[in-house]
Amino acid sequence: MTTLPELLREADPVSGEPRRGAHERSLRRDAVVNAPGNGGDVSRRSMMKRVVFATTLIAMAGAGLYWSRASVDVVAAVRFEVRLAEEAFAPGLREVAVGATRKIYLHPETVITNSDIADASVVPGSRDGEFSVAVTFKADGAERMRRATQNHIGKPVAMLIDGTVVMAPVVRSAIGTQATLTGSYAKADAERIAAGMIGR
Amino acid sequence: MNDTRRERLAALFDAHEDRLYRLARRLSRSADAASDLVQETFLRAAKSWTSVPAGASKEEAWLVRVLINIRRDEWRKTAVRQRSAAAVRAHDGAGRSNVESALIARQAVWNALDTLHPRRRAIVILCELEGKTPAEIAVLLGISGMTVRWHLSMARRELKRALETYLGDTP
Repeated sequence: MTTLPELLREADPVSGEPRRGAHERSLRRDAVVNAPGNGGDVSRRSMMKRVVFATTLIAMAGAGLYWSRASVDVVAAVRFEVRLAEEAFAPGLREVAVGATRKIYLHPETVITNSDIADASVVPGSRDGEFSVAVTFKADGAERMRRATQNHIGKPVAMLIDGTVVMAPVVRSAIGTQATLTGSYAKADAERIAAGMIGR
Repeated sequence: MNDTRRERLAALFDAHEDRLYRLARRLSRSADAASDLVQETFLRAAKSWTSVPAGASKEEAWLVRVLINIRRDEWRKTAVRQRSAAAVRAHDGAGRSNVESALIARQAVWNALDTLHPRRRAIVILCELEGKTPAEIAVLLGISGMTVRWHLSMARRELKRALETYLGDTP
């Protein structure tokens, strides 16, 4: 009498097929090792931990390398903006690329600008030697941010540095007084961005 | 940073590719599809390498979960499961040689597995073909032991219904 486990074992392809060649494996390995990444991308689980840690708000998808490149040119002033965004196009929205594969559509209004930032500081990133920037908003800005994002749950909010979207995390809950721009930046880059944001 | 990233990705690939391929092959219709599935899993890891936790068992769990999620997304896009269910019922196995019967049985098993949700299918495979306990599967997939046991019992019921022609009377 044949049982279900026996049937499954008899039909198991792993036991019957020849293993793939070493050459193919090596090609695939190279493709993985040399694959373009977007650096600071974080999984939803680790995002949520960080959200709790930052006491505020957001789930983040980083764009570390993208930002690292952008930040090379940052010398003093850094223009920082936060705008609501959509995953789908609608009239009046502007399409922008985030990283290599994602597109979002920006609302024309800015929710937050440099003048709404109370403080920006460098905080340790998820790995040794990597750093993120924690931004604290002034009361007015925080209230505007909270109102804007509470009706924007499940949609992206874009953070722009000098007009370039560096992150577009999806809002998981209303964003309040603080946001952390996650990424894998060298300390000097993160410090330059933080200082540039508040005009130090 | 680029060198660190490349070293981490190379180490991930070397440590887990074989294991992922075996699981992928048992979740896919062909060896090529399995290779692509493994590749896509590692490309996700390459894209967000800093979120892959350190340590062999945590790495494995992260990769296995991503692999199953990718497979689930593919599975949702196809309606294979409906066609397969019909195909399973069409075979009766009567009047065929042993070799033919074995091939048909094998095909029927694969069709039946294709009708399962990939997460459920993975749980059956981890249990029946990899010999893992429900508790081990629960840790690997980050779900409760009760959920694993529920999926196992549902999967066995679905498979037995689809494969009753090929199964003996014993449970």
